[in-house]
Amino acid sequence: MSLFKGNLLAIIGFIIISIILFVAIFAPLLSPFDPNYIDINSILLPPSYDHFMGTDGLGRDVLSRMLYGARISLFVGFVAVGIATLIGIFLGSIAGFYGGWLDSIIMRLVDIMLSIPSFFLILAVIAFLTPSIWNIMIVIGLTSWMGVTRLVRAEFLSLRQRDYVLASIVMGTSNTKVITKHLLPNSLTPIIVSSVLGIASAVLIESGLSFLGLGVQAPTASWGNILTDGKEYIQFAWWLSLFPGLAILVTVLGYNLLGEGLRDVLDPKNK
Amino acid sequence: MLIGISLISFFIMHLAPGDITSSEAAFNPKASEESRQKLRELYNLDKPVIIQYGLWLKRMVELDFGNSFASHQRPVLWEKKDGKGNVIKGLIQESLPITLLINLIGIFLIFSVSIVLGTISAVKQNSIVDKSITFFIFVAFAIPGFWLALLLMYWTGVVNQWLPISGLHSLDYKSFSEVGQFFDLLKHLILPVSISMLSGLAGISLYVRNGMLDVLHQDFITTARSKGLKEKNVIFTHALKNAILPLITIIGLSIPGLIGGSVIAESIFAIPGMGKLFYDSVLMRDFPVIMGILTIGSVLTLIGTLIADIGYAWADPRIRKGLVK
Repeated sequence: MSLFKGNLLAIIGFIIISIILFVAIFAPLLSPFDPNYIDINSILLPPSYDHFMGTDGLGRDVLSRMLYGARISLFVGFVAVGIATLIGIFLGSIAGFYGGWLDSIIMRLVDIMLSIPSFFLILAVIAFLTPSIWNIMIVIGLTSWMGVTRLVRAEFLSLRQRDYVLASIVMGTSNTKVITKHLLPNSLTPIIVSSVLGIASAVLIESGLSFLGLGVQAPTASWGNILTDGKEYIQFAWWLSLFPGLAILVTVLGYNLLGEGLRDVLDPKNK
Repeated sequence: MLIGISLISFFIMHLAPGDITSSEAAFNPKASEESRQKLRELYNLDKPVIIQYGLWLKRMVELDFGNSFASHQRPVLWEKKDGKGNVIKGLIQESLPITLLINLIGIFLIFSVSIVLGTISAVKQNSIVDKSITFFIFVAFAIPGFWLALLLMYWTGVVNQWLPISGLHSLDYKSFSEVGQFFDLLKHLILPVSISMLSGLAGISLYVRNGMLDVLHQDFITTARSKGLKEKNVIFTHALKNAILPLITIIGLSIPGLIGGSVIAESIFAIPGMGKLFYDSVLMRDFPVIMGILTIGSVLTLIGTLIADIGYAWADPRIRKGLVK
């Protein structure tokens, strides 16, 4: 925590994310009911002592579903961004280190991917692959690596000119070793920051897809598909719409604050 | 560039397990293997992928994206005459103007509101006003558009009945005068436009604020102040011009996001634009329409970027005269 000293926003972000991590990990212990247990006798109950966030159209406990939904959104966020970051580091290193025609090809590919509206691309692929949590993670990952690629390439281009890197190359260190020992560790800060911000947008995309019915499929609970139910019952059951939306809002806000905070803290120029 | 886009959109379509014949067979249990084969021949699905791509590319150069699988063979892009000489309008031809209208209004509003917010925030740095604007920006970034859309629909449409919550026209709009029709359209556009501009607004306000802060600390601003110019002049004539210049590029870059965002806004508010058309086609596995929209969407993005580049050169004399690259 001393890392964030004096950076209030980053601390708030850190706390929010820690709470969500905790909730997601211990969801089975924390949730009062089985998230998929259908109870015909308690359909659309408003929030009460038994059901803190009420029940949905099938009598399932919304709080339990929200807790399990936290798992999904966390999981999708981390895996999707993991995929994107790995691709980005790989392509960005090649482009930035070797330059030349490899660089041109990779950067053209980045330009092409950037000019296709990404939500269209994701929707198209998802619909054709039949929606499932794995497909969503892979597709979000495969359509959001361009930023990291550009970032890594730019870092490498400037780091390559440093004396210590040149010295290491002259001494005959292998290219792979120069990349992994010298270049990558020194460009880690912006990569971390952009990954944290990337998780925020992955969470938003996942919930959007689930909301449209093209994401995580019922009966698995996700904040997005609880909201789809909320849309059906919006006139009678405000709690079905309010809580999942708030959860998404707070989570995304948390990642954004943490990311911006990390940028300020880790960037020596800001000190 | 265009070829790359066309390759990618074509490639995606062929990732798909199952083809149109399987979904048509699902609707019609009587479809035999023979009739499926006929369907495949009709749409050239029996030929090798490379040849399909070649055929598709050739028609694309002629701006012919083929006919929709799902909606009674309607042309994807532009109107055509059928055998009896009736003109059938293209699907994209009908829906694109609506999406463009929403997004152009959106971009215009984003531009004007974010300049105001960003400037106020920067000029009063660290004041209460600045803090609340920054807070608003962070929240607007994080808020899921479809959730806000739901709440707004409920609040303004169901509880209070101030605004219509779906479609582009009221049921009886044909009975209105032209002015009445215009205001009817405007009323229907308020919610979708505000939803689709929200995250863009947040990003660009933040951008204006940071740009403005940078500029305000530069020497020429100190010069302007010390030669006794009024603070109003310093900010509006000297600082603002320099701070908002990069916005032209940023707006160009945000076009793909705006177009992509229209899927959610249009399907929630049942607006017959390109986003909704895309969503419906995805559900129907309507290959030609999906490919057409992916391509048109990307072309729009390229045009946007091009306009942004030209606009930048026009606005910045340093680039126009080739002083800076």
